[in-house]
Amino acid sequence: MHASTSVIRTERLTKTFGPSRALDGLDLDVAAGEVHGFLGPNGAGKTTTIRIVLGLMRASGGHVELFGRDPWREAATLHARLAYVAGDVALWPGLTGGQCLDVLGATHGGVREDRRAALIERFDLDPTKRVRDYSKGNRQKVALIAALAADVDLLVLDEPTSGLDPLMEQVFQDVIRERRAAGCTVLLSSHILGEVEALADRVTIIRHGRTVSSGTLADLRQQARMHVHAVTLDAPAGLDRVAGIADVVSTPVDRRVESRFSSDAEHLDAAIGLLHAARIEALTVTPPSLDELFLRAYDEPSRSLGVVAPGAPATPVR
Amino acid sequence: MSLLGLRAALGMQWRTHRRGIVVSVVVLSVMMVGTAGSVAALYSTPEQIQGYAEAVTAGDALVVINGRIDGIDSLGGVIADEFGFLAAFLLPLLGISLVARATRAEEEAGRLELVLAGSVAREVPVVAGLLVATAAIVVTTIAFALGLSVVGVPAARSLLYAASLGALAFVFAGLAAFLAQVSLHTRGVYLWGLLVLAASYVLRGVGDVTNTWVTWLSPLGWAEQAAPFGAMRWWALVIPLAAGSVLAALAVAVAARRDLGSALLRGGVGPAGASRWLRSPLGLAMAIHRPGFLGWLAGAVIVAGLMGGLARQFIDAVLANPAMAEALGVTAGRPVDAVVAITQLYVAIIVTACAVQAIGSLRSEETAGRLEVRLSGTLSRSRWLLAHAVVIGAGLLGIVLVAAAVLAAGIAWSTGAAADLAGIVAAGLAYLPAELLVAGLALALFGLWPRALPAAWAVVAFVTFIALLGPGLRLPAWLLDLAPTTHVGRPPLGTVGEFQLTVLGALAAILVVSAAVGFRRRAVPQH
Repeated sequence: MHASTSVIRTERLTKTFGPSRALDGLDLDVAAGEVHGFLGPNGAGKTTTIRIVLGLMRASGGHVELFGRDPWREAATLHARLAYVAGDVALWPGLTGGQCLDVLGATHGGVREDRRAALIERFDLDPTKRVRDYSKGNRQKVALIAALAADVDLLVLDEPTSGLDPLMEQVFQDVIRERRAAGCTVLLSSHILGEVEALADRVTIIRHGRTVSSGTLADLRQQARMHVHAVTLDAPAGLDRVAGIADVVSTPVDRRVESRFSSDAEHLDAAIGLLHAARIEALTVTPPSLDELFLRAYDEPSRSLGVVAPGAPATPVR
Repeated sequence: MSLLGLRAALGMQWRTHRRGIVVSVVVLSVMMVGTAGSVAALYSTPEQIQGYAEAVTAGDALVVINGRIDGIDSLGGVIADEFGFLAAFLLPLLGISLVARATRAEEEAGRLELVLAGSVAREVPVVAGLLVATAAIVVTTIAFALGLSVVGVPAARSLLYAASLGALAFVFAGLAAFLAQVSLHTRGVYLWGLLVLAASYVLRGVGDVTNTWVTWLSPLGWAEQAAPFGAMRWWALVIPLAAGSVLAALAVAVAARRDLGSALLRGGVGPAGASRWLRSPLGLAMAIHRPGFLGWLAGAVIVAGLMGGLARQFIDAVLANPAMAEALGVTAGRPVDAVVAITQLYVAIIVTACAVQAIGSLRSEETAGRLEVRLSGTLSRSRWLLAHAVVIGAGLLGIVLVAAAVLAAGIAWSTGAAADLAGIVAAGLAYLPAELLVAGLALALFGLWPRALPAAWAVVAFVTFIALLGPGLRLPAWLLDLAPTTHVGRPPLGTVGEFQLTVLGALAAILVVSAAVGFRRRAVPQH
């Protein structure tokens, strides 16, 4: 059942380098056709996970599947269906950008010429310059174009846009949406939360080599607290007695009462009921941003969204 | 000129480059003192030294290679002659590499930007690089002088000889500092520096043979004209010191005025796409190895061409001298065969070093992150390794064959008689199993224990040491036997044992197979 819908699946994945434990029971499930955001601070194990998924490193324990197969045993065969952009883009210094692009394209099992030309245009790349004369952003463009121009089922992108300017970031997001519309699955490891928020269908947040949380952004928001700002004619009564409501501050302003508090999804209805009884004049409910979800996942792991036992994702895996 | 931040820049350069500096200085000093010691042991009587002097001055061959040494009939003169060829390359290279590492390499890596963003004047990193390089050169000079004195060369002459070599290194340090300002990439500094060195070598050779002022156009000539074992012209040291200082001042002046990351010599444009061949595993492997192989091929061609082209003189002058023939390990057989045997051993050293360097570039692919990207595609590890092994093997074979052809042509031209091409080629090919054994060792390290790969260079150094100095120093047989080249049997002079070659080849094959097995099982990248 999993094998039919999951493009990448890891269960209780562990990896040790000598005494240090890079992965410590990591679960990741990337479904076919989705853009999956892969989030975590530096050193959380994102790159190690990707290398194991690609069969470049062998897992110390746990289970890993790529297209339902073992990536360590069948690395080269499985790679025909994917293209990878590494976090530190390394190119051959003696070659031109265009030559590197084609060499990389050949490792992805070939690029589509029409798409290559269009992407060079859109990313505004000069393919005749030697790679050693390129800036970091331009090297990244070469690797991105090679991956995005390939005719593959899966894109594995490890922090692909850290050197791109906002204009190119926009181009990148447009192209990723086009590729998803064409049925391509994307694993997007990123630090740029706005990018993940704009693109990802589901996200997995990891910390110290473990999955902290996983699900759709809506799911994650469900588990996180919303911020409520209300202006009522009367003072709302009993807000601080509702279980899921916290940080209540009510101040009288111009014969009205301005209230701010945070609420979890479960108790929002009760909170709004109390506000309604106090006659609402203005009401804003702000869902948590991804930044907030991300920071919460790190600041207070025990209290965070999706309190997870090791090995169990916060939300049921589809 | 501002010296703001000099102390910080000096500290930084010493801290980041000290290992390379110490290794360079120690290796050079040990080589120099080792040569001096072995020469002093070999030529212990005035008669032997006289014989050596007559031999090397009999024709122009060795004058071109080693220079015209004033006072060749003294122990110091013999040492200077023996060390002449090596010193002519190693000391300039010391100056170039010390400065290139500290200047343009730092700029290319983006670290200069960080340094200049601090409280450090724009020209100070160049000044610091030159100061550190000069200090290293001075230490080397002192070590040379002490070493020479210890083996019995008069102290004043030792000091002048060492100082003339130090001044030579200083000229090229200044030149490298200037080149680092005008060339965009570190490799440009090395390339242009080595071109100037090659021109100096040619000018010195022409001047020495024609006995004209042309010698004075070359930094190598300046060192020679100090005549430490002859007239002792201390004033001749002023020329290289002045030239180096002018170049250094120029470099500092340019550094104070130019933009970060700017250069006069910039790269051009190239093709906008890769050919079908370049996209294939073999094609890319060839593109990766081509520059290195061309360099080693040039070295082999120069050695084979010089030895072949000067075969006549070499036979007349050197092999007629029994002590020298013994030092070179060629005491029996036809003289022409001795020339071939010596040359093929030199070529074998070059090919061995080339193999280790090529396998080192596989490791560079890995540490730079390019191997990971390459293996994330449809290319399997075995096919990647095979493609590189094929390219490296073909390249080594190519060097052996080209060098043999050049040597044969040179001998035919020099002696006026047709050379035995088949025999020369066979002698070159006989070394292949030994060369592949060292290559296999390096490859096995790459597959099984990649961090230890630099150790393969120690093997190359050992093989070189045994091949060049083994016979002369009368080392014990077991030590000589540790070098695979010893077992080849000095073709065409000696007889080549098929059994030994088979054993060498089999060992090489075992190493290659274990490399392949290890590489398939290990993590990529493995740090």
